[in-house]
Amino acid sequence: MRRSIPTVVVTVIGLILLADFIVANPTLDRVAGAVSEWIMLLAAAAALTGAIALVATHGRALLQRGTDRIGSAVLLLGLALMLIAGFRPGSSGSSDPMTRWLVAALLAPLIASLFALLFFFLLAAIRRGLAIRSRETSLMVVVALAVLVLLLPLGGALGGWLAAAAGWSLSGPIGAVFRGMLIGVAVMGAITAARLLFGVEGTDE
Amino acid sequence: MSSAWRRRAFLAPIVLLVLLSLAELAPRLSALQLANPDASRAEALRAALAAVPADGVALVDIDADLGTYPEVRPAVRAALDQLVRRGVRIAVVSFSAEGRAIASAELDRMQRLAPAAPLLDLGFRSGAEAGLVRSVRSIVPEGVGGAVAAEIRRRGGGLAAFDAALLIGGGEIGPRAWVEQVRTRVPQLQMVAIAPSVLQPELEPYRASGQLKALLATVRDDVAYVSAVGGWSAPRPGVAPVSGREPSALAILLGMLVAIGVLVEALAGHLLGPVGSPASRGQEER
Repeated sequence: MRRSIPTVVVTVIGLILLADFIVANPTLDRVAGAVSEWIMLLAAAAALTGAIALVATHGRALLQRGTDRIGSAVLLLGLALMLIAGFRPGSSGSSDPMTRWLVAALLAPLIASLFALLFFFLLAAIRRGLAIRSRETSLMVVVALAVLVLLLPLGGALGGWLAAAAGWSLSGPIGAVFRGMLIGVAVMGAITAARLLFGVEGTDE
Repeated sequence: MSSAWRRRAFLAPIVLLVLLSLAELAPRLSALQLANPDASRAEALRAALAAVPADGVALVDIDADLGTYPEVRPAVRAALDQLVRRGVRIAVVSFSAEGRAIASAELDRMQRLAPAAPLLDLGFRSGAEAGLVRSVRSIVPEGVGGAVAAEIRRRGGGLAAFDAALLIGGGEIGPRAWVEQVRTRVPQLQMVAIAPSVLQPELEPYRASGQLKALLATVRDDVAYVSAVGGWSAPRPGVAPVSGREPSALAILLGMLVAIGVLVEALAGHLLGPVGSPASRGQEER
């Protein structure tokens, strides 16, 4: 019974949205619009719940002198700063100059710097990968080397040839592999949805 | 792990950072070319944005990720500048929290550089893809006024009111979601996209099929586009260029050569000898 209620809800909502997509009917349109509003409200509620849970977890870690108190303190401080910038009296929310400064001068460079560290982490991970799963990682390294060479920013005839080859490889073999993966994911998604709708999920596991 | 290897691993990133900084400061070399020699993709975006009527309304969806946005930022700014220079009315919207943060900063910048530009901030629409679907019918929030908002409402108030949509893609809500959710409902809306390289393989089929009128999804195409619309140069003396300084091809080349060197060394060490190879070092580290 507990499992059938979510299944019924998912089935009904899915069918309403699908029917609205196919049939032009004002009543159906209004119902589908209301369902979309509920989904947005649920997403907002989930985001709020997540934020409260985050504060509770890190607040507890701070009070109970957890292992990463500095990290928890920085997280809560950052959260408080953003909330103050957006909610202080006279603030215009996300358009407020203070919020914009925090994003443009602090948040964006910090996240971009973290992202740039991927360069080092990826190279280190490949070295370790060669030790653990050598055959697969070797193949990946060879392909990565080929793509890197094709993307070298050289001028002249050689640069033109490399750029043309890079374009072909991105739209040809690499694109084909990626599209195959996407199609596979979509098919698996459809199968999982069908199993959920017919209540057969997890029975063979 | 030996102390020599540990010292090398500690010093290597520092040396690389110093070299990258020097390369960034060095004068540009003519032997290197960052812009893609095949400018067809850059030209497609330039032409698509030039085709928006001067009295038209363009929607700019900024849903990039903060991590990958620096890669596409010059092209995004150049595209916004191309629209602003022609007097096209622009409405900016976001469906992701990170996108909203970026949009807020870009709006601030545009309002400083072009105070008279007809811009409308549609803000953040919650609900991710559900919010996107909801916007097909109505995208202007209640209480938002001004000439641009009035024009969008006069045209119906939904996504069909726009002459074109410039999609700044990210991992959460990107051009793919727009093609899947909006293209099927508003087929007449012309969509062009700027996305980071990581999204290129999944977006290329949409460009090839014409569902995306234009797509920039590599650094080399971005640089070619910014060069094509004159984004690296200042519009008049004393005014900062729209897209900042052109990325240093030498710094990028240096980073790529280091990556190639590390990969070749790791692969050769693994294939040629077990003693002192990355494989044995990896086993030690484990």
